[in-house]
Amino acid sequence: MAIRAHDAVAGRDGIATVGSAQARPGRASLALRRERQLAYALLTPTLLVILFLVAYPFCAAIALSLQDKMVGSPGRWVGLANYLELFRDEVFLRTAWNSVVYTVVAVALKFVLGLTMALILDQERRFNNVFRTLLFVPWAVPVIIVALNWRWIFDDLSGFLNNFLITFHLSRDIISWLSDPSLAMGCVIAVVVWAGTPFYSMTFLAGLQAIPRELYEAAEIDGASIVQQFVYVTVPRLRTIFLTTVMLSTIWTATNLQFVFVLTRGGPASRTEIFPHLAYTTALGARRLGMGAAVSLVFFPVLAVLILLLTRRMLRPTDD
Amino acid sequence: MRSVSRTRRSLQWVGNTLLALMLVWTLVPFYWMIATSLKKDREIYGFEATLIPHQPTLANYARLFAKTPFILYLRNSTIIAVGTTIASLVFGTLGAYALARLRFPGRKVIARGLVFTYLVPPALLFIPLFAVMSTLRLVDTHQGLILTYLSFSVPFCTWLLMGYFRSVPLELEEAALVDGCTRLGSLVRVILPMSLPALAVVAFFAFTQSWNEFLYANVFVNSVEVRTVTTGLTLFIVEDVFFWGPMMAASFLSALPPLVIYLIFQRWVVKGLTLGAVKG
Amino acid sequence: MRMTRRHVLKQAGLAAAVTTTSPWWLVRTSHAQRAKKLVFWHVPNFTPLADDLQKQQVYEFAKQAGLKDSDVEYDVVANEQAQAKLAAAIEAGNPPDVMRLYESNVQFYAAGGHLLDVHDLVEKMRKEPKGIFESAMTSVVYKGRAMGVPLAVNPWPVHARLDLLDQAKVEYPKTWDEFVETSKKIQSPPRLFAFGMCLGLVEDTTDNVMNLLWCYGGKMVEADNKTVVMSSPENVAGVKVIEAMFKTHKIIPPGAISWDNSGNNKAYQSRQAAFVMNPSSIYAYLDGNDKDLQKATGLFPVPAGPRGTVNQIDTWAYGAFKKTPYPDLAKGLLDYFMQPANYDKIIQSTGGRWVPVYKRLFDSPFWREKPAFKHFIKMAETGVPVSYAGSPTPAAGEVLNTHLVPKMIQRVLVENWEPARALDECHKRIVEIYARYAKG
Repeated sequence: MAIRAHDAVAGRDGIATVGSAQARPGRASLALRRERQLAYALLTPTLLVILFLVAYPFCAAIALSLQDKMVGSPGRWVGLANYLELFRDEVFLRTAWNSVVYTVVAVALKFVLGLTMALILDQERRFNNVFRTLLFVPWAVPVIIVALNWRWIFDDLSGFLNNFLITFHLSRDIISWLSDPSLAMGCVIAVVVWAGTPFYSMTFLAGLQAIPRELYEAAEIDGASIVQQFVYVTVPRLRTIFLTTVMLSTIWTATNLQFVFVLTRGGPASRTEIFPHLAYTTALGARRLGMGAAVSLVFFPVLAVLILLLTRRMLRPTDD
Repeated sequence: MRSVSRTRRSLQWVGNTLLALMLVWTLVPFYWMIATSLKKDREIYGFEATLIPHQPTLANYARLFAKTPFILYLRNSTIIAVGTTIASLVFGTLGAYALARLRFPGRKVIARGLVFTYLVPPALLFIPLFAVMSTLRLVDTHQGLILTYLSFSVPFCTWLLMGYFRSVPLELEEAALVDGCTRLGSLVRVILPMSLPALAVVAFFAFTQSWNEFLYANVFVNSVEVRTVTTGLTLFIVEDVFFWGPMMAASFLSALPPLVIYLIFQRWVVKGLTLGAVKG
Repeated sequence: MRMTRRHVLKQAGLAAAVTTTSPWWLVRTSHAQRAKKLVFWHVPNFTPLADDLQKQQVYEFAKQAGLKDSDVEYDVVANEQAQAKLAAAIEAGNPPDVMRLYESNVQFYAAGGHLLDVHDLVEKMRKEPKGIFESAMTSVVYKGRAMGVPLAVNPWPVHARLDLLDQAKVEYPKTWDEFVETSKKIQSPPRLFAFGMCLGLVEDTTDNVMNLLWCYGGKMVEADNKTVVMSSPENVAGVKVIEAMFKTHKIIPPGAISWDNSGNNKAYQSRQAAFVMNPSSIYAYLDGNDKDLQKATGLFPVPAGPRGTVNQIDTWAYGAFKKTPYPDLAKGLLDYFMQPANYDKIIQSTGGRWVPVYKRLFDSPFWREKPAFKHFIKMAETGVPVSYAGSPTPAAGEVLNTHLVPKMIQRVLVENWEPARALDECHKRIVEIYARYAKG
């Protein structure tokens, strides 16, 4: 979704304003002032929301991370002590590694699957609308339910998977999906991919449908193979959509708590421990709010840099 | 040339096969949810558990409606999701128009800042946010939860709409302004009608996201009068005894509204996304 | 233009500074305000009947005290979510007036100064005929004063399948060695594992593991609540027994590593485990849902190790929060709950899930006549909390909540660490926690 947009103004820089302000410098200041006032008035609700409901809690979280603060007791300022303690803990490295693997693999798989789905759904066939709706199902199911449902599927003794495998003699032993250290992370990622792929296929499909058919026809006349058509016609036209989708999805994936919380609680033996979950257990399990805030903020710079790079790319045409 | 069309035909076959696989992958978990909701406890637990309900029963659904305030939860979720959707549409439209069409200091900072609001980790924010809600006396109210949800839906809606508005040809609006339309008049008469699919997309996302939210709803709501479906679900977990049957019934029912809405608005949503993609 | 811009920037900067900090001031100043209502957070009991009775009693009491129904707020809070909700509420200065608290939470919130002193109420309870199980006092007493009203002392018996024991013609095992042998006889994996021991990263795992270690002479901390003794040779011996059960004898289902607190319940209820260590919530569940299995279920003390048998109890208590605008009413409500007539009704409607804190109730037919409850009175009398030999202090609560013992056992079972090494790691972390609380 989102998709695009900011570069829409490409090549139109400076005409973002309508009207004659630039033409008649004499009245410019008045017109500009009015415009400015109107702009701020229109933005007031949005800015209030951001200020009170995002910026303030965020600043409060930063302040928390600099304190030694337990639930229900006054905090004590300790500077960067929480962060230092965190960096010294070997749990930190493991969690960082897990978080990166989890995010990168999940996003990559979602991308590949989503693109495949979109290409398939872009083909012509009967009942395509029905298929589109069916493949969209996971997006409509609340995350907490997705996680609970999959936990139920992976259940060692009563779950669908083991039941299925044993009923059809595909396996003699039960497989401990979420207990086996070599399987657990894969299972968690599978669930994340299941839930998140429709978002990709939806946006990619929209992008594919916006590509004029004539472009393909022209390429075909020039003797381009299917692969060449994909590489030279499709991919360049989807670039912005790729960027936006990946960016949003990376943020949503990396900050999601519920999948790990419901499926594995970070186990077995910390194999699936990731930052949002570690932050939650530190803040509410151990009730160390200060430390919990530090844990949840430690991944922030990584994502922030990533977004900065991506949005710079998207916003470039409008930057002056 | 012929090779291309031959490849295309074989691609169609590959596509059909993959489509079948993907349908299985997507729908089997959903099937298991429905199947579990139609079973008796005996069929749910253990290796006697069945893949297909042998004696399908609606008892879990009956229990849901007779013994729990599930209808009330549905009502609350609807109020909150609809409220959030309307508020985000209004706020988003106004803000997006300013960012897309007006010139003022701070425009770029705000436009870019919108994206960064997503980075803020919700798992921790609920404590300071809760303090804000307490101050405003909005804990345990529909309004409080709507306001909370605006924290993620307004930036998103504004950001999306900003992009769409920019793609509406400038000339149309200029003509309206010359005809004596005010700024807001041209927003309502020129830009909005051209952005209907985009508004559909935005409304759809605002609705599903607030319908599906769990973390804030869990902390900010105490009473049955305000409790939403997602948090009502967790009441089936009584300490350490799970009630999978009714829980899966509730899960299935609560997934329906977003699905139905998608089914109805599907054409709009895809068109809205497509429109947004044109300039890509 | 440049001037204007600088001017604008300056103004904008000032405005931004004022506006970004204004929420802080607003939030701080009106922090303490709350609705003038008697707020009761109800964490569901185990039977709908008990829940209904409790609700009824809250409103009855309110009426007697001259409150209108609209002056009472009765909220249902799922146990899983209670901790997060309470944390947010406390931070915002807006906790409920009365709520049921699990074990170490009493001392944690007492230490933070959030609970009303209810010493007089508890003293009154002790003066009832036959008094209360004194084992409950370790969890509610903070600095010599009772800060919570204990309402149940729940033993953790072994739920055992009598029919399977009969089939194999064996008795319930007296020792852990016998337990292993019996287990191998009666199990038939993968459909039936003998021992549904919880090994996931949840509270039940700490309970199950520590209980076995006690039988081998191990413990977490000395009775002084300071000296951590996790890396003792006794603990090593106990962990080795669990390791052998899991890896060599294979009497524990491998999936137990990812169980949540309901894992052992589910395994037993679906007849996939023959023995589980759990409070009688399983037994109470069967009462309403599977009478056949309930008849085939015996509740026994845990088998003995070289140091005999030790049984766990956990204590639930009501806490009244200081922030309440009605301290007298909050305490009055607790008093009302604990009046014998009201208390007896609720406790028996839980079908054996809540084990009464009043000793005299064990004279009633409900507790005397069911063979399953035969051992309960002794277990309730001699039982120890999970933090044994220490009491459920805030530090012990953090050990439980951060799953350090489950992480230790997973090191051994999943990552194949030597028990001594895993215990050393665990020991260090527990020492850190106890040191942190000792300091501040």
